[in-house]
Amino acid sequence: MSSRRAPRGEYIETETGNKVARKATLLGTQNIMLGGKTVIQPEVLIRGDLIRTIQASTQSGAASNNTAVSIGRYCFLSRGCCLRPPGRLYKGAFTFMPLRMGDHVFVGPGSVVQAASIGSHVHIGTNVVVGEFAIIKDYVRILDGTVVPPNMVIPSFSIVAGQPARLIGEVPEGGHEAFELRGLYKTVGNNPQPAS
Amino acid sequence: MAVLTPYTFIQCPCSDSSTLGRPSDPNSSTITEADEDERTFDPRAPRSNFSLYPLEYLLYCEDCHQIRCPRCVSEEIVTYYCPNCLFEVPSSNLKSEGNRCTRSCFQCPICIGPLAVTSIETRPDPSLLAAPDNTAAPHSGPYALTCSYCNWSSTEIGIQFEKPNSIHAQLAKLRNGGSTRLTAKERKERRKDPAYRRYQATSSGEGESDQTENLDLETQFANLKAFYQNQLADPNSADTGLAALGDLGFSSPTSLSRIMSIYTGGSLQDRKAKSRLGAMREALKPDEGLQFAHLDESAAIETLRGEGHDGTASITQLVDQPPNLGEEHLHGRSRFISELRPIPYLLRTKRSKRCPVCRHIISKPEAKVQTTRFRIRLVAGSYIPSIAIRPLSLSATAGGGGSSASGATLPGALLEPLKPAHFLLTFKNPIFETIKVTLGAPAETPGRFASKVTVLCPVFEVDANTDVWDEALREGGATGGAGSGGGGEKGERRRGRYDEGSQANNGNQLEVGKIWERGRNWVSIVVEVVPASLRLDQGDAPLREDEDVLEIPLFVHVEWEGEAGGDDVLESVAAKDKGGEAREKRELAYWCVLGLGRIRK
Repeated sequence: MSSRRAPRGEYIETETGNKVARKATLLGTQNIMLGGKTVIQPEVLIRGDLIRTIQASTQSGAASNNTAVSIGRYCFLSRGCCLRPPGRLYKGAFTFMPLRMGDHVFVGPGSVVQAASIGSHVHIGTNVVVGEFAIIKDYVRILDGTVVPPNMVIPSFSIVAGQPARLIGEVPEGGHEAFELRGLYKTVGNNPQPAS
Repeated sequence: MAVLTPYTFIQCPCSDSSTLGRPSDPNSSTITEADEDERTFDPRAPRSNFSLYPLEYLLYCEDCHQIRCPRCVSEEIVTYYCPNCLFEVPSSNLKSEGNRCTRSCFQCPICIGPLAVTSIETRPDPSLLAAPDNTAAPHSGPYALTCSYCNWSSTEIGIQFEKPNSIHAQLAKLRNGGSTRLTAKERKERRKDPAYRRYQATSSGEGESDQTENLDLETQFANLKAFYQNQLADPNSADTGLAALGDLGFSSPTSLSRIMSIYTGGSLQDRKAKSRLGAMREALKPDEGLQFAHLDESAAIETLRGEGHDGTASITQLVDQPPNLGEEHLHGRSRFISELRPIPYLLRTKRSKRCPVCRHIISKPEAKVQTTRFRIRLVAGSYIPSIAIRPLSLSATAGGGGSSASGATLPGALLEPLKPAHFLLTFKNPIFETIKVTLGAPAETPGRFASKVTVLCPVFEVDANTDVWDEALREGGATGGAGSGGGGEKGERRRGRYDEGSQANNGNQLEVGKIWERGRNWVSIVVEVVPASLRLDQGDAPLREDEDVLEIPLFVHVEWEGEAGGDDVLESVAAKDKGGEAREKRELAYWCVLGLGRIRK
């Protein structure tokens, strides 16, 4: 995206406080919902164009919203990560399903996320692959280089690592606050607070 | 070599026998302190491995006023649930069904990825795409468990299912290879069946090989149990000795104590009874529970020839396998991949934690599986100051740059031997009272390579953790975005550096006894270290693992008072928080270890 007003800064800051890098690639922006105060760093790819293809077959009928990727508040998508809605055969036809993400979700650099749902307060490390239709609950830490297999369910307070991911520990009681991303949110943007 | 980020580990007092369980009242702690002054805590002692924890892992007992670690708290299980389907399992089911999920949740025996139930006959019919309404049909026929990570399928071990649901029950009836096996209930019924008994009787006459096949673990155990029960009940086998003990049931606790007395010398028993017990015969037939061990391994060798090493299961794969009661006893024989079975998910738990001394609950999660809230959560992080470590480069400060900390000394950089290095320790006060911190560190670190340590400001006060809004109002004009506050460590650091930059211009010098900088509820002090040289003399033992990490034992003594420190805003906050009991003087002392970095070799 070539910006007309390059000196305006690296990020586009929306009214709801989202900071979206100009160098991020967002496809199908009308299908991407941002909850606010979310940071999208450069070179992030969000495949909002991969929407449900068989709308009629959804039994809920009125589900006409085309949201492909929905992201909560205070999420942080690091440089080079990719969010891609998962797809599968549904009643004989291939369709994509929406990717939902809660609040305070950190996605590390170079990670690929194809989960069906990610809860709140989730930390996904560097170069992690989250397989299709994985379900990640709240307060989960996924260490660097993990490959979460498709369809895996990761319950709350899990620390997972490995290829394929296996449970290696539990988030301690005192570790909940470390998932907060409000501080990190302030350190990026067009006029970031002085930080590393 | 992995880059070492500075860390702080805190020692739980539970590992210290002298302070175990003692509440820190002012009278006794002075004695304890004197004791502790005598010896320096050695972070490299083998015992230290088990007592050092990061702050997040520690809990705090409000009644004992002491730190509690995962090792010393006692846990109670609140809820059992399956980590895959997230269904709660009642504890009554747990007793009957075991500690694994009995729904359709399975892990791959090869890679432990989750298994999904898929229809084996997937018909890629193009016409179905056009008419998605008729597509309910292809989801029929046999089903298999497949792993979407390593593409393993249960068809590889010859297991298929008729229905896509209740896989656990179906799998219990299937052997590897697809032949059926009886469930425990059916087997019990079969044992009662006279026709089966006759069959068994005839087969036992013919030869041993086929009867041993029939005995799986469950059956064997049931047979053995029945046999021994018969033996004990039979008046002919051990007449007077056991008869003297009356009509005690086999499974009653008194009979257990009787057996124990037999094995432990049996002064209570007469010698006769013991010798009669020895006359009890052992199982001789399969229906009495006798099973011959398979010593002939030619079949296994043959399979190994055919499949090679790749066909054998690894130790981790074997360890992950649940004990399979439906198969015969393996007697430690190795297994092939073709013998592995899908692993039902082990259940997980939510646990509450109790203080080991006063038995008060210090952590209690909500019982429901899906909620992440806690009813009680007394974590050490909200009672004791957190310590953040940051390398400090003085040269950059002298240059007047604002980014003094990240200038020359990169985080994780190696420390130069015999060259003084400086580190900023930032103590952040989580409580609503001003705390007085006293630090004690040995002049030289324990261990083979003694680095010199100087805490430039060992005594200081940290202001109370006031309401974030107070700070926001105070700083309101200065920075635009300071309103939301509570930025955690990152935000803390940022502001620290910001202030530091301005202070550096005013000529902030390293001075003994002076605080480097302070903020609302934090104080930074400087620690100077002269890393030891890691040069080894002739005949010295080589460097052990992580011996090049510079670790400083630091004794932290925190003192605070119930009375708020003069500030009326604090007063109200403190009074609200602590109530009437806040009038006493409190203190807490513990060892912690600062890992600063690796020394260059």
